[in-house]
Amino acid sequence: MTSDNDRRRGLFARLRGRPAARSRGRRRLGAAVRLLAALMLAGGAYTAFAPSVQAQDTPMSGVAADGKALFNESCVSCHGRNAQGVEGRGPSLVGVGSASVEFQVGSGRMPMVRQEAQAPRKPPVFTPDEIRQLGQYIQELGGGPELPPGEDLHEDGNLAAGGELFRINCAQCHAFGGGGGALSSGKYAPTLKPASDRQIYAAMLSGPQNMPVFGDNQITPEQKADIIAYIQENLNHNQDPGGFNLGRYGPSTEGLAIFLVGIVALVFTTLWIAGKS
Amino acid sequence: MTTTHPGHAGGDQPVDLDDPDLSRFDIVRAGAREDDIQIVHYEPQVVPGSKAERRLSRTVALFFLLTGVSATAFLAIYIWWPWEYELGYGGDKWYTPLLGVTLGISLLGIGFGVLTWGKKLLPKEVSVQDRHEGVNERDRKITGQTMLYMADELGVKRRPLLGVSLLAGLAPVGAVAAAPLVGGLISQPHKNNQMFTTGFAPTEGGQKIRLVREDGRPIRPADVSAGGQITVFPGIEHGVSNKYADSPALLIHLRDTDAQEAREANVRIGHDDFMWGNFAAYSKICTHAGCPASLYEQQTNRLLCPCHQSQFLITDNAKPIFGPASRRLPQLPIVVDDEGYFVATSDYTETVGPDFWERP
Amino acid sequence: MKRRKFEMAAVPGNVARGVDDRFQAATPLRRLLNKVFPDHWSFLLGEIALFSFIVLLLTGVFLTFFFEPAMTEVIYNGSYAPLRGTPMSAAYASSLDISFDVRGGLIMRQMHHWSALLFMAAIVVHMLRVFFTGAFRKPRETNWIIGSLLFWVGFLAGFTGYSLPDDGLSGTGLRIASGIMLSIPVIGSWVTSSIFDGEFPGTIIVSRFYIAHVLLIPGLLLALIGAHLGLVFKQKHTQWPGPGRTNDNVVGERMFPRYALKQGGFFMVVFGVIALMAGLFQINPIWLFGPYEAWVVSAASQPDWYVMFLDGSTRLMPAWEINIPIGDGYVIPPLFWPTVVLPGVLVGMSVLYPFIEARRLKDYRSHNLLQRPRDVPARSGLGAMAVTFYLVLALSGANDVIADKFNISLNAMTWGGRIGLLLLPPLAYFVTYRICLGLQQHDREVLAHGVETGIIRRLPDGRFVEVHQPLHREDGELEYVGWVVPKKMNRLGALGPAIRGFFYPIEKPAEAPVSPAPPVDSDTERSEITSGERR
Repeated sequence: MTSDNDRRRGLFARLRGRPAARSRGRRRLGAAVRLLAALMLAGGAYTAFAPSVQAQDTPMSGVAADGKALFNESCVSCHGRNAQGVEGRGPSLVGVGSASVEFQVGSGRMPMVRQEAQAPRKPPVFTPDEIRQLGQYIQELGGGPELPPGEDLHEDGNLAAGGELFRINCAQCHAFGGGGGALSSGKYAPTLKPASDRQIYAAMLSGPQNMPVFGDNQITPEQKADIIAYIQENLNHNQDPGGFNLGRYGPSTEGLAIFLVGIVALVFTTLWIAGKS
Repeated sequence: MTTTHPGHAGGDQPVDLDDPDLSRFDIVRAGAREDDIQIVHYEPQVVPGSKAERRLSRTVALFFLLTGVSATAFLAIYIWWPWEYELGYGGDKWYTPLLGVTLGISLLGIGFGVLTWGKKLLPKEVSVQDRHEGVNERDRKITGQTMLYMADELGVKRRPLLGVSLLAGLAPVGAVAAAPLVGGLISQPHKNNQMFTTGFAPTEGGQKIRLVREDGRPIRPADVSAGGQITVFPGIEHGVSNKYADSPALLIHLRDTDAQEAREANVRIGHDDFMWGNFAAYSKICTHAGCPASLYEQQTNRLLCPCHQSQFLITDNAKPIFGPASRRLPQLPIVVDDEGYFVATSDYTETVGPDFWERP
Repeated sequence: MKRRKFEMAAVPGNVARGVDDRFQAATPLRRLLNKVFPDHWSFLLGEIALFSFIVLLLTGVFLTFFFEPAMTEVIYNGSYAPLRGTPMSAAYASSLDISFDVRGGLIMRQMHHWSALLFMAAIVVHMLRVFFTGAFRKPRETNWIIGSLLFWVGFLAGFTGYSLPDDGLSGTGLRIASGIMLSIPVIGSWVTSSIFDGEFPGTIIVSRFYIAHVLLIPGLLLALIGAHLGLVFKQKHTQWPGPGRTNDNVVGERMFPRYALKQGGFFMVVFGVIALMAGLFQINPIWLFGPYEAWVVSAASQPDWYVMFLDGSTRLMPAWEINIPIGDGYVIPPLFWPTVVLPGVLVGMSVLYPFIEARRLKDYRSHNLLQRPRDVPARSGLGAMAVTFYLVLALSGANDVIADKFNISLNAMTWGGRIGLLLLPPLAYFVTYRICLGLQQHDREVLAHGVETGIIRRLPDGRFVEVHQPLHREDGELEYVGWVVPKKMNRLGALGPAIRGFFYPIEKPAEAPVSPAPPVDSDTERSEITSGERR
């Protein structure tokens, strides 16, 4: 679980933060524009655009330097030098935070194999250590949301509360059973089955691709733990009490089953019972 | 089946049932003939006492025994299996499948046992029955004339007053039978203007209604990150319940450029101050069939309804851009009050939910 | 004093005599025992529906003992941990209790739901059989209409039952149903508020649906099923053409004992298949859906399969709104057409079809012999057209699931459905029509030239020809009689495969059957009739 200190840092980072991907027009704007915009919103006042403040003025830690090396090897072609983004290829990563790195690289979505509507989940290319280095680099580059430490992020989660939150915030895209669903024009919400605690947490925090951001003010870390508990313990690791779940696709597979299993079996029986001519 | 003597079977003469030579099958045939059935082919499939018969009897018996075993297993499982629900992988998860399988096998055992018995052990037969669809002209005439006679006797034709008064009297009586049922069910749809108001309508004292979360807490701008969305409810009693099924809205925190676009679109249709900062709130109830349209894509700013795939463009006043919906999602005008919480400046200015005939 | 001897063996006879003294049952019972039914596998499809209806009644009665049809809010405190403490309606809580706190409740719920799906599926399959074989023609139009109504009443039964648990998925369905009612011009809002007693969802709809689902609709179904069976009994079953089978007779088996025994066995098989499916496949896991809340929805929200075609038509409908600029202005929403008009048209077309066809063909005679689909290409084409139309709609009803699982764009699926709905049915008509003509042609060819033997002979001039085995004597000419034409040598004279066995050949028993059969009539034509079974 996060300490208070972590959480405050996370909040501050988020205020400045930007999510992983954004539309072309906004890519070249600096991190601080977003920081200021956020501050302006909070204050309810508008001021002029401020010049960029570069985060990498401060010296980088060793881990981050390793990360930078990795970045320059595998990511630079799309995300550009110093992760500033490349028009038409990859968004700027300044301010997306290590949460975003952990989600995108940890679930194998990045590096992408080719440009398509949505990056699919793949076996990760980097080791957990390398992902941490990359994350540290991006974090030190522009700040942004960070995950609390630990693998198990749902220890004390309340299933019932998590279920309620899941249905109101997640089920519309990921479906009641967590199997995912289609979005407009070829995009989709992925299945939650293979997702780890950290990946689910990171996704809520960073809002990857078209997923909305669920910051800690909207869904507190405790509530996030509840949701993860519901997903992991009930949806993913609770056996279905009624037999094979038919993929939990709802009535469409049930309808298929009644014809392919029920009707087919019974028609074969009628063929056996009665005459065929 | 006993064999029969050829002499008794043929011919259409009625059989003398007391004839001692008559076998039981002869009587069956004679009876069938009385129902216009010719049993033209009757062939035992197995020779009594043959190996084949014994084998088939064993098969049938096996099916029935399978039923017995399976049904006993069903009962044992039903009584002793730990069936109470527990989270995770547990024995209770096998309770229903085991019951289904044992019950299914025992029923299939009876079924196939009986089927084998009937199909393989009983004699095959071919019978031909006449349909008798011919019309009995004589009866038709008698019945028709009888009915006409009855009508004549009633004399409605001769006494038109009777007919008219009967109609005039019966129609209201019929209505009396239907009235309590229909009348009791009818409910005025526009009571309290309910179809055009939601929980966000300011109170009579002009008090503006706060936007609250599902747990009733009010919402500050800092609660929703850019690119985020939250379902909001009217901050009134029972506001978060199906009593106000039409009220829920989606409060969206747009990014700068998107918000700029959305504001311009708002101005175009005269919704100048409906947004607050980069926040916009739209009804969550689809204008097509009433599902919660809530699949918000934060990069494309589309809102998808999962029921019929209508897509709304948030940056263009939630205009429908794909699918069967024909109407924009109504926008909830919002502002932040003195205490820093979101309130609705007024109710939705358009009708929420599925379209209907008299929607202006 | 000598005690009167009690003869056990005389008891049945005495009882029977006593019953007949009082009720004169012998004659009607003889008629019943002697009823002849034709034997063909496709005549058993309707039975599947009948038997699953019986299972529905049995399991449904069980469920009523535990279900509480009320929308009063309760806090769930049952066994299912992930919902404990959640406020929900009493209906949903009691449905959860049936699933988790009633011993064997879940298997009963699942059997009830599976048999409902099977009931509807069997109705559709049976209806297709009746349609494609022309069994709906005079004198059976009434029974066809009753059958069509059974589908729609079953549809209502299914929908009301599906809505009862008041879970997140069925509540969304109910929400759409209210939207559909609202869309009816002029009276829409009155209909909706009368049914829901005010605005959706109100507090009474579950109780109203409950009484409809357990009393009114089953009563109607029972009455219709009774009439349906009664008419089959009265009008006698149709039969396929074949040797000895005419329009004026029924060739088959008497009802007792063999036919009835087979029916009883088949009931048990249907029951068993339902039980197996209920145990092996989870259906409608309401505990995952949560209680119905107007703001909660799931991706891939679908109705049960028999409603899915309406969901599909709704998805494919373009956003055509009709505005009527009178007074404040009136609207006919796009929802109205695919969900009210379309089912109305479908009911009308299916009910009227027998009369339309009779009129088109100027055929007002009674028909008791079935037609092979190939012999009526226009009807078979129309049927294929209807099936294709239905399939496109039903698939579109699941188009988000298909889009997601097969990585197709959702928007492309919608457009594919729209175009497919217009293009595929006529194509299906055309293709079916041509296939029917081709099959007809082949039948005529075999009748004229004989069966292909597979023997190739070289003629003196070097050409190769296949030897055909003619089906008739040199002087005769064979007429097509609407029945199977043998097309393989080993089917000649047998009208069935020479090798027995369903999945693999079974050797014929060595001992030849001694025939103790009662001798057949002198009428030789009749004696040629075979049982129609494989021998």
